[in-house]
Amino acid sequence: MKTVDRNLVRQATPGRGVLAAAAMLAALAAGPAAAEDAKTIAGTVCVACHGDNGNSVIPMFPKIAGLSEQYIVKQLRDFMSGRRKSDVMGPIVSQLKPEDVAPLAAYYSSQKPTAGEADDKKAVSLGKLIFFDGNEDTGVPACVGCHQPQGAGHSVYPRIGGQHVPYVMQQLKNFATGDRANDPSRYMRVTAKRMSEEEIQSVAEYLVGLGAK
Amino acid sequence: MNKFLTMIIVAAFVAVAASAQTPAWNDIKGEQLIALQTKGDPARGQAAFEPCEGCHRKDASGRTSGAYPRLSGQHGTVLIKQIADIRAGRRINPKMEPYIDDHALTPYEIADIAAYLQGLPISAENGKGPGAGVAAGKQIYDKDCATCHGPGGEGSAAQFYPMVAAQHYRYLLREMEFIRDGDRKNSNPEMVKVIKPYTNSELETVADYLAQLAPPKK
Repeated sequence: MKTVDRNLVRQATPGRGVLAAAAMLAALAAGPAAAEDAKTIAGTVCVACHGDNGNSVIPMFPKIAGLSEQYIVKQLRDFMSGRRKSDVMGPIVSQLKPEDVAPLAAYYSSQKPTAGEADDKKAVSLGKLIFFDGNEDTGVPACVGCHQPQGAGHSVYPRIGGQHVPYVMQQLKNFATGDRANDPSRYMRVTAKRMSEEEIQSVAEYLVGLGAK
Repeated sequence: MNKFLTMIIVAAFVAVAASAQTPAWNDIKGEQLIALQTKGDPARGQAAFEPCEGCHRKDASGRTSGAYPRLSGQHGTVLIKQIADIRAGRRINPKMEPYIDDHALTPYEIADIAAYLQGLPISAENGKGPGAGVAAGKQIYDKDCATCHGPGGEGSAAQFYPMVAAQHYRYLLREMEFIRDGDRKNSNPEMVKVIKPYTNSELETVADYLAQLAPPKK
C-alpha cells in the first residue's frame, strides 16, 4: 500500500497538470453530486470547528486543509469505528454516511493550508532541533524522517507543518498515554512516550510556523 | 535476494555441517532465513526505510556523534542478521526495537530494506576519532581483526562480518566495548575471545583507525 501510494505521488509530482487532470477525472468519476455534497457538509457540519477551507482558527481543533486524502479517509474511518476516540468527533462522524468520507477527504485535501506563528519564540530553537535531530539520548527520532521537510507529510504520515500548538501538544500527549492509538505500527506512541514535556511544547512551537504564511 | 545469497546460505549450511557444531551466534533459521532467501526489492526497501530515517538519516549515513550507525553500503546479510537478532532479543537495542519489531516490519520488508541499504553510496563524511591513535590502531587491526573484517575493513557478506571501515568512531568504540564485555549477546564468540584482552585505550586506537579509512570500493 505504502509503496503504491508513494509511487503515485512521485509520478504525479513532476507535472501539476497530470495531477489536476487526475483530480478532475476523480471528481467526474465521483460525480458532481458527491463534490457538491462534500462542500455542503463541510460548510454546515465541519466549518464550526475546522473553519473555512479547513484552516481552523480555534487552536484546540486541528487544521485539516492540505492533509492527504488517504490520511483524512483513515482518520474519519477510525473515528467512525472507534479506533480513534474523541468526545467531539465521535458524535459528529456518526451523522456521516460512509460514502461521504471520500468526497470530504478530497475536498479538504485540495484546500490550501496556512501557517501560524509561535507564541513562545524561545521554544522554537529547541523545537527545530527535535524536528531535525530528535533526541539521541532518549531515542526520539527526528520528526522530519517521516513527516518530511516543512512537516508537509504525505499519504501515510500527516502534514504537521502549520498545525496549532495546543492541538499538536494534545495529540502527542494522547499518543504517549495511549489514549490515541491509531498510529501505524505504534510509531507515534513509542516516540511521544520518549518526549519530555519541554520537547513536546518546543516541537509544537516550531511546527506552527512551518509552511506557507 | 539472489543467486549469490543462495550460494551464501548453502555455503553457510555446509560450513555448519562440516564443523558439526551449530554456531549459536549465527543460527540461520526462522525469519532470518526467510529474509535471506527473499530477493529484496530496493524500491520497496526505500519506502519501508522511511520510518528509520528519523534516526539513521535520509541517506542512511547515521549520526556523526555515533549514536546511530551508518547503514549505507553495509552488507545485506549483516543488516538482516542484526535486525533479526534485535527482534529476537539476541541483541539488546531498546531504542530501536519498537520501531522494527514484527508489527512494524515483515521479514520480506527486512529483505527489501537490506537490498536498498547495501546499494546506497557511502558518503565520505563520518564521525572521526582524535587521529592520534591511527598508527597504533592499524597495528592491532592488521594483527587481530583483518583476517575476518578484511584488510580494508570491508567485512564479508558471506560470513556475516560487517563492513567496519568509515563507520562512526563513537559507534565503533561503543560496540567494541559491548562485544568485549559480553553486552552484545549476538557476537561471534571468536571475536569475543580475540577482543577480550584489549583495554579501552587500545580499542580507541582501533576505532580511530577504522573511522578514518576510506569507504571500501564496491
